Amino acid sequence: MTLSADQFRQSARAWLADHVPNEPAPRDGKAARDFALAWQRTQVAGGWAGLAWPKAVGGQALSIQEQIIWFEECARAQAPSPLGPLFVGLNHAGPTLFACGTPEQQATHLPPIIAGEVLWCQGFSEPGAGSDLAGVRTRGRVDGDSLIIDGQKLWSSYADIADWQEVLVRTDPDSSGHAGLSWVILPMRADGVTVRPIRNLAGAQSFCEVFYDSVRVPLDHVVGGLHNGWATAMSTLSFERGTATLPLLIELVARIETLCADCSRERHQLRAHLVGLRAEAAAILAMNYRFALDCDRGVPDASGSMLRLSFAELAQRATSAAIDLYGIAAPEVLGLHGWGYEYLHAFTETIAGGTAEIQRNIIAERVLGLPKEPRARR
Amino acid sequence: MNFALSDEQQAILDGLEGLLQQPVEGATDPLSPPYSEALEQRLADAGYLSIAREDGFGTLDAGLIVERIARAPQVVEAAATALIAPALGLPAELRPLALVSDSWQKPARFLPQAQVLLVDQGDRALALAVDPERVVPGDTLFAYPYGRLQGSAQPTVLAEIDPQVLRRRWRMALAVEAAGCMAAALALVLEHVRTRQAFGRPLGAFQAIQHRLAMAAEPVESCKWLALRACWSDNELDASLAATFAQSRSNALTYDLHQFSGAMGLTLEYPLHRWTYRLRALVGELGGASQQARAAAEAAWPETCA
Repeated sequence: MTLSADQFRQSARAWLADHVPNEPAPRDGKAARDFALAWQRTQVAGGWAGLAWPKAVGGQALSIQEQIIWFEECARAQAPSPLGPLFVGLNHAGPTLFACGTPEQQATHLPPIIAGEVLWCQGFSEPGAGSDLAGVRTRGRVDGDSLIIDGQKLWSSYADIADWQEVLVRTDPDSSGHAGLSWVILPMRADGVTVRPIRNLAGAQSFCEVFYDSVRVPLDHVVGGLHNGWATAMSTLSFERGTATLPLLIELVARIETLCADCSRERHQLRAHLVGLRAEAAAILAMNYRFALDCDRGVPDASGSMLRLSFAELAQRATSAAIDLYGIAAPEVLGLHGWGYEYLHAFTETIAGGTAEIQRNIIAERVLGLPKEPRARR
Repeated sequence: MNFALSDEQQAILDGLEGLLQQPVEGATDPLSPPYSEALEQRLADAGYLSIAREDGFGTLDAGLIVERIARAPQVVEAAATALIAPALGLPAELRPLALVSDSWQKPARFLPQAQVLLVDQGDRALALAVDPERVVPGDTLFAYPYGRLQGSAQPTVLAEIDPQVLRRRWRMALAVEAAGCMAAALALVLEHVRTRQAFGRPLGAFQAIQHRLAMAAEPVESCKWLALRACWSDNELDASLAATFAQSRSNALTYDLHQFSGAMGLTLEYPLHRWTYRLRALVGELGGASQQARAAAEAAWPETCA
């Protein structure tokens, strides 16, 4: 590592020591919104926001190496998790707008994301279209220079506190499957949008059902071209499955190290298990660094599914081991910020952003080049 | 061991089935509190929780009943009352029972409801009277009500009990209860994958899902029969093996069942958590699977474990 990288690390460490909030991030509701936006604005003020983003939109345009150091120092300092209400804006919508948006769309939407002024949520899944995203039925009817959106989305995290939604709608009424979809920027406060929060396994209300009743959206809110939403959505998902995993994994590695340190020598079997998890985490992290360096600022390739899948399953094993370590009714396990919450949250990791089964199919077909599974006729 | 139910056993299970089918407050609402005092009282009044004390019946009958009760969506304290208390000479009316390892000051399952707290201190074990005034209910994420006793004075000792018998019956009880939870959770998910469509066919038509559910069905079925065998033989080895197996196989099963329920399985609106929460809690009891495996080794090869 060069001296400047060391200096960067020392600088990040010193700043985080002074600025990481003392209280844990609220899990849901307005408190979660206020906390997330305040943390983003704190990072903006310190010059630490948007490390990977261009300077023109308020970013720092730093190298991937420096971003990795930043994530490592955030984990060390127990900074607010990247998997909060800011996640979709910073990791999905933002990168997708870079890759597929018009200059006007980029100029309008990227600076407020970086500045901590707005939150984004995702509207991809529907009651009949989860892993099978091509089954999207929410309609977007072209009416002059507007789209009129009708339908329903599901599992939209933080939709109740978001300002904007990246929503996938069927704009060509005669289409089916992957064709005829559009990726649209939808204002959550538009007339006709109704949000119903859903209580998750751990008791928090962070994901929602969203209903659209003749919601009018300007046609220039379509990103990547009308009826071309599948390509845009695949770009979004490649960010979610690839580079967005990195900060989450780095955070998890730090937490596994804490588990190893907290396990007494007398608990031989658990200790061996935890160290095995630590080794697995190191291996996945090495693969992640390789991936991040390969696709610095480009659209990640399909091997991101290997990162996503391995991280998800590691997270499940690690959080379960934490309960074994501390005990089911221990203070470390209970409450909205205990390991019990993390254990229950980890069930989402093999479902969100494409289920583990979808990731395995992608690895088999697009990384290993195996023949496609026979598909049923629609 | 005869795997066919006797006429008496079948009649008892049929009666129990009828009782469990009767409406109970909150039974159909996954968001309602899981513990049902009303159902527990109904089961006790009908004599199901004291079956092992009846002439002509025994531990196996109690095991069959506990397994069936665990498949209900509500949580009740049946396992300790039906399977542990009779072997310790505790009167039938002293229920529900809470169980704890090491110290009476630790959080215990069912303590907010319990009359008796059974404490396994390793070389000795105690049945303590629970003073409701001293019970502090605890937060729980995992369906069972938990609580702990506050204050430093040891509660009144009702009886000194045999620690080996306590642990043997506790292992048996947790294995049978886990078997029931596994079976109910699997049945729910099988129904889901038969009906939920993706990519133009039912989820259950995908081989990736078929194979994993086929593999899930194996421990569910074998856990039940091993646990019932432990009830039938009432020996150290079978009880330890049953608890080891139940505790070591529950986690992987739980992940698979939630996985195939999709995002719906991540909500409290879908009832899967009613069984998988309980499984997660049972996995850690008595020190977890590795402790039960050590107990099994000691029972099987005592000369090597001195």
